[in-house]
Amino acid sequence: MMAMKGFTRRFKPLEILTEEQVGEIHRATLAVLWETGVTFHSERALKDLEKNGCKVDYDLKRARFPEYLVEEAIHRCSSSYRVKARDPKNDLVIGGDTVYFRNFPGMQTVDLDTWEPRDPTRQEYNDLITVLDALPNLHAISPYPYYGYEGVPPVMRIPEGVAIKIRNSTKVQMTGNASDSDQFNIKMVKATGGEAILMAAGSAPLTWYDDQIRATYRAMEVGFPMYILQGTISGATGPATVVGSVVVNLAEQLSLIVLVQLLTPGMRVAIASDTYPQNMKSGVPGFGRIGCALTKAVENQMARSYGIPTRDSASGPVSSKKSDFQTGYEKALNALVSALAGANLILIHGSLYGEITAHPLQAILDDDIAGMVGRFIEGVTVSDETLAVDLINEVGPIPGHYLNTAHTREWWKKEQFVPRAADSLAYPEWKKTGKKGALDYAKERMEEILATHKPTPLTPGQEEEIERILKEAREYYRNKDLISDEEWAVYMKSLESLNYPYG
Amino acid sequence: MSTEILENLKKAVMEYDHEGAATLARKAVEEKVDPLEALNALTVAVRQVGDGFGRGELWLPDLIGAAETMMSVMPILDEEIERKGAKRQSLGTVAIGTVYGDIHTIGKTMVATLLMAEGFTVHDLGINVTAETFVEAVKKYKVDILAMSALMTTTAPEQRKVISALKEKGIRDKVKIMVGGGGITQKFADEIGADGYDPTAPGAAKLARTLVGK
Ligand code: B12
Repeated sequence: MMAMKGFTRRFKPLEILTEEQVGEIHRATLAVLWETGVTFHSERALKDLEKNGCKVDYDLKRARFPEYLVEEAIHRCSSSYRVKARDPKNDLVIGGDTVYFRNFPGMQTVDLDTWEPRDPTRQEYNDLITVLDALPNLHAISPYPYYGYEGVPPVMRIPEGVAIKIRNSTKVQMTGNASDSDQFNIKMVKATGGEAILMAAGSAPLTWYDDQIRATYRAMEVGFPMYILQGTISGATGPATVVGSVVVNLAEQLSLIVLVQLLTPGMRVAIASDTYPQNMKSGVPGFGRIGCALTKAVENQMARSYGIPTRDSASGPVSSKKSDFQTGYEKALNALVSALAGANLILIHGSLYGEITAHPLQAILDDDIAGMVGRFIEGVTVSDETLAVDLINEVGPIPGHYLNTAHTREWWKKEQFVPRAADSLAYPEWKKTGKKGALDYAKERMEEILATHKPTPLTPGQEEEIERILKEAREYYRNKDLISDEEWAVYMKSLESLNYPYG
Repeated sequence: MSTEILENLKKAVMEYDHEGAATLARKAVEEKVDPLEALNALTVAVRQVGDGFGRGELWLPDLIGAAETMMSVMPILDEEIERKGAKRQSLGTVAIGTVYGDIHTIGKTMVATLLMAEGFTVHDLGINVTAETFVEAVKKYKVDILAMSALMTTTAPEQRKVISALKEKGIRDKVKIMVGGGGITQKFADEIGADGYDPTAPGAAKLARTLVGK
């Protein structure tokens, strides 16, 4: 069956822990799950957990988890599964040694001259998705990835974003949810024949809020895969130690995994953590720091011991505000460690500062990092052909060389990854280009993609259906009084654009 | 004797020693040390830690550790102050919280701590605080400043709601209102009729001083 190719790790993953240490972290997690448990702000979840063997304190809204239930739930998780895309050639097969890359969202875009954030326009939102659709080393698309665009009221930001993603890309998308927007996301994705990866986000430490639990029940109903997202900040919402934070993360994630695996055995889930060390000066998470990579190395090894796929965001948000040196190293180091540690889906493209900003130009730069990391984990092939003893004997010492051999013509492209938006010239040529750097090349590539890449359009019927569901969502929130009169007026006016929905 | 107790109290705060500070506070009461002076010693210590934080020599865990040590012994001294019919010196009383629907804690806690270090009496109402709770707190603690934090586009409007609720109860003009949190802007603060906004926690402390004219 066709599927998105991604990259395959062809050697043993990095093991930062000994087997005993894996056991210790697991037992520590079980101890927290049993001794303290996890708060569920959801009567329904507490009842379901109690019915199935958890100890529940309804006053504290706390469920405590016996070891056997946790083990059983882990056992029921699929270690590898397919996720259907709108176009079957873009299906994902998540798990095992396959590594995919995905973009990471930012609330707003940035101005490339001042590097200050601002709301994108609808055209810019479409452009971002078009670029993501075109990039070869990007295999899936994130939730949001901008939080709406000029003119859209807050509650409609997620549904409008889901629609733009469906219209401009056939890659699998993840959808976020707020104010129960997942009901509309799911309808839109179903109307176009694919699946979305849904998510439930916990609130560290050890708490699940009701909106996330409602989304979880809807995910179980519709049978889409769901990522269990957890965002401990080491030293603020979790212990300052790497493994202590992992214990908090795992306890929270496993608590929800117990719920979904009890009610829908085999449901496709992944462990997804956004764990950062706390910046002890500004109070903001230490995005991009090497502590992120350390946590990922530990978490991936734990998840592998459970047989549960992972999605990593260490290389997603960075602390830098610009597409610069710092952004480059924060992303590259973290992505490489994630890939070595066995992550199945790595978030990297497009994001700049701390979940706040993203830009297609950055996505283009990051596509090269993804390509480099991907190339690395594919490792080397050792065979008669690659060892090339016959050839080496034939070419012999100088004046022999390899530029003219059929072997070189056949192999160099398989062996090398060539970055697309990078300066690779010698000084004389570089001077002739007017001293272009990576950013200049990325800008050119962005212009080229936007001029030439045409995402597969929806059928007229699908297009109509998307518009109908959006209309339903607009009315739903309007009737719930979540869109004010002024917001509604601006919103309706923005829809009158001649190029709607594409510009 | 009294100066020694006061010095040790300061030291306990700067070493984040809750138990030690509590023992010393009780000892201060027993030995008839002026509770206002004891309180002052605590404030001085927290301010020193705050200054160290400002200079980049100390870190958030130090700042929060010192502030919480002070908070933990306040009830002991407050009781004594009340018994003597004295009045606590402070730049003013602040109630602070993250608005309803929003559970982001860190920024709000930083602001609360720096306000305390600045010399305000702070009531931290926590997170997910409803408009009713804010209104109740304004009445109950006779606050000079109400501070609200919100980090999401969807929860920012709660700040407007709280201001409306205060208006309804006819007490809007009795308090100064300051707002903040990632995503809040000066423009938004003006629109909802807040008295002040600042994008940073140290700025929030300065702003609070301006708001009470000190
Ligand atoms: C940490 C974090 C979390 C943690 C919170 C942990 C905790 N206990 O606090 C967790 C993981 C639980 C979380 C959950 C969610 N989060 Co969150 N979170 C963040 C993150 C990464 C950092 C926030 C933070 O702590 N900043 C550091 C502090 C110090 O900054 P600050 O609060 O702004 O405070 C500073 C100033 O603003 C000022 N200040 C603060 N308060 C006040 C008050 C006054 C009066 C004044 C004057 C000044 C002032 O002083 C502070 C110091 O300088 C931000 C992204 C980001 N980069 O900011 C997202 C972010 C805020 N979260 C976001 C979202 C969407 C959520 C969730 C809805 C996700 C989900 N679906 O589950 C939930 C919300 C749950 C809820 N109901 O509230 C979005 C909000 C988008 C939007 N604008 O609508 C953001 C921007 C991330 C993103 N792009 O997705 N989150």
